[in-house]
Amino acid sequence: MMIKTLTFFLSIIILFVIIDFSRRGKLTFKYAIGWLCLGVLGILFTVFDQLLFSLSDFCGFALMSNFIFFSLFCFFVFSSLLLSTFLCQQNKRNDIMAQKIALLEKEIKTLKGE
Amino acid sequence: MNSKVLVIIPAFNESDNIVHVIENIESSGFACEILVVDDGSCDDTSSVARSCGVGVVRLPFNLGIGGAVQTGFLYAARYGFDIAIQFDGDGQHDAQFFNKLIEPIVADQADVVVGSRFLPPNLGYQSSWIRRIGIHFFSCGRKVIKVFAYDYPLDFPEPESIIEVKKTGARIVEIPVQMKERISGHSSIRYLKTLYYMVKVTFAILLRIIQTKKQVGDHDD
Repeated sequence: MMIKTLTFFLSIIILFVIIDFSRRGKLTFKYAIGWLCLGVLGILFTVFDQLLFSLSDFCGFALMSNFIFFSLFCFFVFSSLLLSTFLCQQNKRNDIMAQKIALLEKEIKTLKGE
Repeated sequence: MNSKVLVIIPAFNESDNIVHVIENIESSGFACEILVVDDGSCDDTSSVARSCGVGVVRLPFNLGIGGAVQTGFLYAARYGFDIAIQFDGDGQHDAQFFNKLIEPIVADQADVVVGSRFLPPNLGYQSSWIRRIGIHFFSCGRKVIKVFAYDYPLDFPEPESIIEVKKTGARIVEIPVQMKERISGHSSIRYLKTLYYMVKVTFAILLRIIQTKKQVGDHDD
């Protein structure tokens, strides 16, 4: 019961932190949505823990803890991959911006006759 | 037909070499516009180049050789150049080969001409065998300028760019050229790094091969 309460409150805290980050503009909806879903799932599985047991059994795990570890591992690998793609995209955008700024700067200098 | 030719010189901390490089091009008497792309140098590469009376584009921060060269191609595409020649800022390339480099493009026999120091008669500086894949001196026509302005490989631009243009169906011709040792400074790829570089380049080339084919002309400048 103690673990259940602890997990419940931890999920609530995570959810509030994400909502607060979104409210203060530190996280945009695009990036907050995944974490919000994780927080809601955490609360849901704490309240209806039978759901988690059924899912674990369905997937063929002998222990539910293994199922949780495996799910979290998959989630973090996936989110890391996703963040890597965002990083590459931002990097490319930065490069394009730098190139455009440099070309515009040259154009301005040429127009000014410098 | 008189082709409008742009010579792109990517330069990063090349204030010691850049004057010699520009002088080498100007003394060749080749009709072209010279553009130095200062890749966010910490030294006064831009002001030294500007004092020589050539065009200078200064990037706000270091993008690497690929980003610098792509800036040159963007400039070439924007101002309607017919041919762009990539010329190293460290003084290894020789402007006396410019005419040979653009001949096949002007004659419409090629879209890209690669100047190779390893084709006979190979009289000049050769570098280590392990680095040969990553060193070239090339010129390209309008079609390829457009391709490179849109997407120029940023990781290992020299070997990857050949694959990129090959995918567009561009015609590539290789001609022998003579190269020189760099005037001053040293290459960033030395000792064990050459081995590491070779492995990375191999992976990059393989990845580039499996990347989706890009169409020429599906972008603006």
